[in-house]
Amino acid sequence: MAPVVGQAVPRVDGPAKASGSARYVDDLTRPGMLFGATLRSPVPRGRLLGVDRDPSFDWSGVTVVTAADVPVNVVATIERDQPVLAAGEVRHVAEPIALVACEDRLRLERALAHLTPRIEPLPAVLTIGEALEARTAIHGADNVMKRYAITKGRGRDGLTGCEVVVTGRYETGAQEHVYIEPQGMLAWWEGDDAHVVGSLQCPYYVQKGIKTVFGLADDGVDVTQATTGGGFGGKEEYPTVVALHALLLARKSGRPVKLVYGRKEDVEATTKRHPSVVEITTGCDRDGTFRAFAARVVFDGGAYVTLTPVVLSRGALHATGPYRWDDVSVEALAVATNTPPNGAFRGFGAPQTQWAVERHVDRIARTLDLDPLDLRLRNLLRSGDTTATGQLLAESVGAQRCADEATWASGYRNRRGAGPVVAGRTARGVGVACFWHGAGFTGSGERYLKGRVAVDLLPGGQARIRTASTDIGQGTETVFRQIAADALGVPMASVDFAIPSTRVVPDSGPTVASRTVMVVGSIVEAAARELAERVGREAERSGSTRAEAHERLAGTPALATCEKQYEPPPGLAWDDATYTGDAYPVFGWGCDVAEVEVDLDTFETKVTGFWTAVDVGRAIHPVLCAGQVEGGTLQAIGWALTEKLVTRGGKVLNPRMTDYIVPTSLDAPPFTTLLVEEPYSRGPGGGAKGVGELPMDGGAPAIAAAVEHATSLVLDRLPLLPEDLFEASGAARSGGGPA
Amino acid sequence: MSLHALADHPFAAPRSLAEACALLAERAARGERTVLLAGGTDWIVEQHLAPAPAADAPLPLVADVSRLAELRGVAERGDAIRIGAGTTFLELRRDPLVTARLPLLAAAARDVGAIQIQARGTLAGNLATGSPAADGVAALGALDAVLELASVRGTRRVPIAAFYTGYRRNVLLPDELIAAVEVVPPAPGSPFAWRKVGTRQAQAISKVALAAVAELDRSEGPGARLTRLGLGMASVAPTVVFLPEVRALGLGRPLASIDDEALAAATLAGISPIDDVRSTASYRRHVAVALVRRFFESLRAPS
Ligand SMILES: Cc1cc2nc3c(=O)[nH]c(=O)nc-3n(C[C@H](O)[C@H](O)[C@H](O)COP(=O)(O)OP(=O)(O)OC[C@H]3O[C@@H](n4cnc5c(N)ncnc54)[C@H](O)[C@@H]3O)c2cc1C
Repeated sequence: MAPVVGQAVPRVDGPAKASGSARYVDDLTRPGMLFGATLRSPVPRGRLLGVDRDPSFDWSGVTVVTAADVPVNVVATIERDQPVLAAGEVRHVAEPIALVACEDRLRLERALAHLTPRIEPLPAVLTIGEALEARTAIHGADNVMKRYAITKGRGRDGLTGCEVVVTGRYETGAQEHVYIEPQGMLAWWEGDDAHVVGSLQCPYYVQKGIKTVFGLADDGVDVTQATTGGGFGGKEEYPTVVALHALLLARKSGRPVKLVYGRKEDVEATTKRHPSVVEITTGCDRDGTFRAFAARVVFDGGAYVTLTPVVLSRGALHATGPYRWDDVSVEALAVATNTPPNGAFRGFGAPQTQWAVERHVDRIARTLDLDPLDLRLRNLLRSGDTTATGQLLAESVGAQRCADEATWASGYRNRRGAGPVVAGRTARGVGVACFWHGAGFTGSGERYLKGRVAVDLLPGGQARIRTASTDIGQGTETVFRQIAADALGVPMASVDFAIPSTRVVPDSGPTVASRTVMVVGSIVEAAARELAERVGREAERSGSTRAEAHERLAGTPALATCEKQYEPPPGLAWDDATYTGDAYPVFGWGCDVAEVEVDLDTFETKVTGFWTAVDVGRAIHPVLCAGQVEGGTLQAIGWALTEKLVTRGGKVLNPRMTDYIVPTSLDAPPFTTLLVEEPYSRGPGGGAKGVGELPMDGGAPAIAAAVEHATSLVLDRLPLLPEDLFEASGAARSGGGPA
Repeated sequence: MSLHALADHPFAAPRSLAEACALLAERAARGERTVLLAGGTDWIVEQHLAPAPAADAPLPLVADVSRLAELRGVAERGDAIRIGAGTTFLELRRDPLVTARLPLLAAAARDVGAIQIQARGTLAGNLATGSPAADGVAALGALDAVLELASVRGTRRVPIAAFYTGYRRNVLLPDELIAAVEVVPPAPGSPFAWRKVGTRQAQAISKVALAAVAELDRSEGPGARLTRLGLGMASVAPTVVFLPEVRALGLGRPLASIDDEALAAATLAGISPIDDVRSTASYRRHVAVALVRRFFESLRAPS
């Protein structure tokens, strides 16, 4: 059997999605189904006194749910601070206060309009700055949700005596996921059993949330994934809220209830990438050798803790960039604000701190008058180096190779050396960024998680993978089949992928953290291998063919299934108390080169070329892998150049795709994507590492560096809108006349 | 959200322009509202954004005019080109007469939304909605289009500069519809500019857009003068503006004598931009001035 790993086989989910036969949650119905909607807070903070129903409205056939109807009013994530429905206090605009359901969607809308929350506004905290000032305390006395400290060597003291000390401050704004399909769930009850099907990344997160609120056991809850139109992290924690709301309405009405958000509601209410402020001071030698790194990282967590501590942790762990430092001090904190909770988003905190460190490295280069690439090459991590947490990088360190390949393919040195190319009223420049991304859960995460996968032998030479790792458009279904097919020694068409449903699949852990292929894929591989061995032994024992042995095992329930649990690599050590040790089993590495053209009158920035080299260990499916890299990079380009969430008084002013500007295909640059393969000894398919998040890390700083090269304008705050370049250029002060 | 009320609207599909006008006249006489539905790319979106109508609110009659043959097509008429108001942007960018004689309009059509919107969106809808950001209005303004308004009372011709009375307001009467626009094309090969400074490359509402056409008399060599100048600028005022001050400055005078400062002052006199969710007033002023200056630079450049 020719191996399929490494081949760009057709995507299994492709035909159904391309032809329109795939069923998303909005396509699903059940007999007697009602539609649900959510009443939300119009203010960022206030005392919730009640919810008034307009008595002139005909409420017959309308179900209304408030906090009083919620058995245990907690969305269970890390802390238990977030209510399912606000009670007593509202803490952000668009916070859910009540739920409504009825048969007809127009009546539903009218009912919602006749329901009014009675709120006494309270002073709100809306920015990181206001939170740190703590004149209004909304979380403890100091508004700090979580703190970490990472220290290596002499920590901050390492700055003393350094030949060149450079300080800078870097900021990023919120980013919306803009998955194609908004959040949605369909829920119903069968007796005391809760059922939900919907758009989600992590079935077992939703299950946990439901168990907590309704006091149910594992087998009393059935969570099933519908075909899901993208997630990017936005469907990691939030779907639990939607599922709970739909279930509450279903319970009270006694009918199935479908709750699907509109785009505007989705943008206003759901999670965003954490805004950040990062201050960095570094010390280095005059020749550019890095010595000491000190940073203060502040993330805006929003109104509830949700996943913020984990996001902050990943941000802190990536703050040094892929560079060698003798002494490190990272102080990271997350603060509370009266904005919707910020949450998981591709990169999970790392893009913010790597934006900061890459801009800072450019600042050092400017200070020393060195080429930014030379400065990076001198300090890039290599095999045998240790990271800020003292992790020894023993294998699969492709930083250098990525830098070489991206800069060579792009002709970076020539383009940079030629200086900005000014033609008429446009200027072209190039910039470079290097980055890394820890694959899998941080620290002891995978050890606690104990992800499990089952593979079954089925009659007719078939096999089936059962995993809670979902396909949300990134290709899990296809790639897992490739891995299992090779390990089993059967054609890919013989391998099925069970619809992720908590009653069918074991808990493989969440579909997050670039862990699906590397971590869960390795369990798939191990389980499939074990079955292949069973088949081999059975064939040998009985003197039959493998096909006959397969059929016999498939008919023997005790032997047909292999369920395996993740085995963390031996020797990994992590200390949560001191934040030292092996933060990740392995890292992905990358280097981006961006070329931009800036219009010197309008300050529009067009990305005219993009070269990206990423070390993925092993590309199981080269086309899907490159798709992740290019899609992730385009998302980074949007974050860099156009995506700005405009808010006033905690309210989003541009909750529409008309005004929240994600790039279109015409805004995508021509990509040159180079997949570098430095295999990871424990990765599946011959050494795969995670790739989902890695490409989000480098795009923004590479573009800012290119803009700087083209225009000499130094911008350290994302996004880089034309209006910002215009202000920075000084043209604004010349009064709008001829520049 | 209140697309859910869509199916509750009364609906009609008049089979001819005369029938459409009669329908409008009848309903206008009774004080009843009628919505003409062309491509639906403005009106349907407006319904989507509006709150649900109250259960007892009377809904307007939706009259589908997208299939009326009299509103379609591009034809020469004497010196002018007459374009049916129901022509879509996709038809405009593909029409041989438009691409050859009105390249400015073809260029603007290519920049409306993206291909899906161009396939449905019409000039009539663009003109009637009259958004300050309407690309079609800017282009037609630069070409000094004349609108043909039809009703049972006959046809009246209104120059585009006299059509708008304020933010999304115009002189169209309740019994009238826009039947066509007429444009006198510039001499073949005349310079023109279409520059849309949007938020991205497609599906973008402009921050500033400039449409411009000129005819140049080069017979006097360095004393070349403009014999025709038309400008339309979007997203810098409550309506698309036609920059009369720049036209007055530019026409008749030797091009070389028009300096950038005077040009800037004339441009600024014609606009009143604001800060909004898409951009800032000061950026818009800067870009407006730069785009007009660039157009004049291109005119001065020896061709
Ligand atoms: C995603 C998207 C992107 C867009 N991008 C752009 C853009 O880049 N540039 C731009 O300018 N616009 C843009 N638009 C707006 C819209 O597409 C245009 O304004 C289009 O020209 C509207 O034409 P329509 O035929 O679809 O109008 P409709 O929605 O059918 O009608 C709009 C209005 O015009 C009236 N009307 C229709 N026909 C007549 C008639 N014959 N006489 C009198 N009144 C009439 C209707 O009653 C209604 O009030 C965009 C819209 C969308 C949804």
